Amino acid sequence: MAYDQSVTQVPRGRDASAGMSLETKARICRYAIIAAVIAAWEIVPRLGLVPRLFLPSLSSTLAVLAAQSGDFAIQMLVTLQEVAMALVFACGFGILFGLWVGSTLTVRKALLPVVSALFAVPLVVLYPLFTAWFGIGSASKVVFASVYGLLPTVLGTAAGAQTIDRQLTQAARSMGATRLQQILWVTLPASVPTVLASFRLGGALVIVGVVVAEMMMSSAGIGFLLSKYRTQLNSPGVFAAIILILALAIGFDLAVQAIERRWTAGGGRNKAARRPADMS
Amino acid sequence: MPRMTEAAASIRKRHGSPMSLVGPDHPAADAGKTLEVRDLDHTYSVNGKTTQALKDIAFDVSAGRFLSIVGPSGCGKSSLLMMLAGLLTPSEGVIAVGGRPLTKPDPTRVGVVFQDASLFPWLTARRNVEFPLFLRGVDKALRREKAEEALALVGLERFADSLPHELSGGMKQRVSIARGLVQDPPILLMDEPFAALDEQTRITMGDELLRIWEKARKTIVFVTHGLSEAIYLSDEVLVLSGRPGRILDRVVIDLPRPRSLDMMAQPRFAELREAIWHMIKA
Ligand SMILES: Nc1ncnc2c1ncn2[C@@H]1O[C@H](COP(=O)(O)OP(=O)(O)OP(=O)(O)O)[C@@H](O)[C@H]1O
Ligand SMILES: [Mg+2]
Repeated sequence: MAYDQSVTQVPRGRDASAGMSLETKARICRYAIIAAVIAAWEIVPRLGLVPRLFLPSLSSTLAVLAAQSGDFAIQMLVTLQEVAMALVFACGFGILFGLWVGSTLTVRKALLPVVSALFAVPLVVLYPLFTAWFGIGSASKVVFASVYGLLPTVLGTAAGAQTIDRQLTQAARSMGATRLQQILWVTLPASVPTVLASFRLGGALVIVGVVVAEMMMSSAGIGFLLSKYRTQLNSPGVFAAIILILALAIGFDLAVQAIERRWTAGGGRNKAARRPADMS
Repeated sequence: MPRMTEAAASIRKRHGSPMSLVGPDHPAADAGKTLEVRDLDHTYSVNGKTTQALKDIAFDVSAGRFLSIVGPSGCGKSSLLMMLAGLLTPSEGVIAVGGRPLTKPDPTRVGVVFQDASLFPWLTARRNVEFPLFLRGVDKALRREKAEEALALVGLERFADSLPHELSGGMKQRVSIARGLVQDPPILLMDEPFAALDEQTRITMGDELLRIWEKARKTIVFVTHGLSEAIYLSDEVLVLSGRPGRILDRVVIDLPRPRSLDMMAQPRFAELREAIWHMIKA
């Protein structure tokens, strides 16, 4: 059929070779920067340009990390557990609540301004209260980090749910979908990109929340270790802890990005290319 | 049809629930294939501002007919169709499908096809078609079978596993029609389903729709801006006035079937078109 042929004639995507070379250039540039930073980290302290107390060389940091790997592992595990629990609360509740707020007009009008206003409160100053209520163990970290990550997640998800194509919900309604079915099978999948973006943001904040809480008042966790080494003036220890925290944050971000990419690629170019030609 | 309509109406008056008397053997059970609209008015009110969209709408459609609704922009065609779909409650009046009042969407009685296809972009064509069955908890195997049947009817069985963005506009609309038909409702409502397509595709899709309509033996209510399209496809054309929309006339299209493109050049076609055009313009 004529109209189907016209589709196959449309050029797919940009010129592949031009796109690739730009991509590759950017990637090479990125790796070069990372390599330069790593090299500088090793060379600058060795040359004595910076006191070792301020910046221990990369190799001495890694040596400490290796020598005390058991200790680091135990504390890291505590932090990971706290982050995981806080993620469930912050992102789980945050996303569900955000979807509800965003997709229900009256609720949105009533609640969104309140939530936005809460966003401005500097939660860190409230942390001592959390330790008073929940002790200095894991509970206070989890609660603090959950609250810390919750609001941005709610706001992000609500904003996304609000922009969902109303036609889709209406179509679902015409097929007899109940309110719950609409949320589960239309609003939720339609807002996956927004939800993932919120999850990424919320998760990053949860990690910050947990680590900051551990640094301020605690008895365990990687943040606790960092604080301890700092008071002992053990710079390689401090830097080793920082490396682990960075790895945690970057690892989380990369994981969510990978999920995001999979979701968009699900209907992306690779699949379009596999589409059989229409010969009907 | 007036006989059946009266029967259904009087039953409704006496008993409230028309189903109580209309058994499968009762002659009025045949009314299960009709759509009735009585004394319908609709007024929108937004922030205290009211807009009367429709006034004194009453008509019925017999089983298996192809009815188009035309009228000036903003006269309430989409609103009317939303009400026939159970998506919008009229301010006044009753809508009955198969002799039973329709108060909420019921895909087993009325299927809907929207202007922009409204497919879920994250589902394949098959899963889009399965969706209404999924909502009702139909088991997987049966769902698949029904969806494949519906896709075959619209000629898209080979594209069952394609995602909507991999399909052309016309193909998307065909998936949307399959989705409307998957539960085998007696009535299919279509709101300017081909408006977003180019001229050539629109004509192809018109012929395709007629083929599906004849094969599936459905009642179709078709809203369109195009007078030629309405005449070409329909048995009857309901002409609405400008806002508030009222029924100006119901024009019977006495062109023979099957329709073909060269009929558009016939004097009768031009006559009908002229007549409807004058009604709308006045
Ligand atoms: N949700 C709404 N709230 C308030 N007014 C509305 C709403 N929907 C439609 N209207 C008004 O009702 C009237 C009829 O609208 P409708 O969309 O039914 O017309 P239409 O005949 O489908 O128009 P078109 O041919 O442009 O599609 C218009 O004046 C419109 O502004
Ligand atoms: Mg309309």
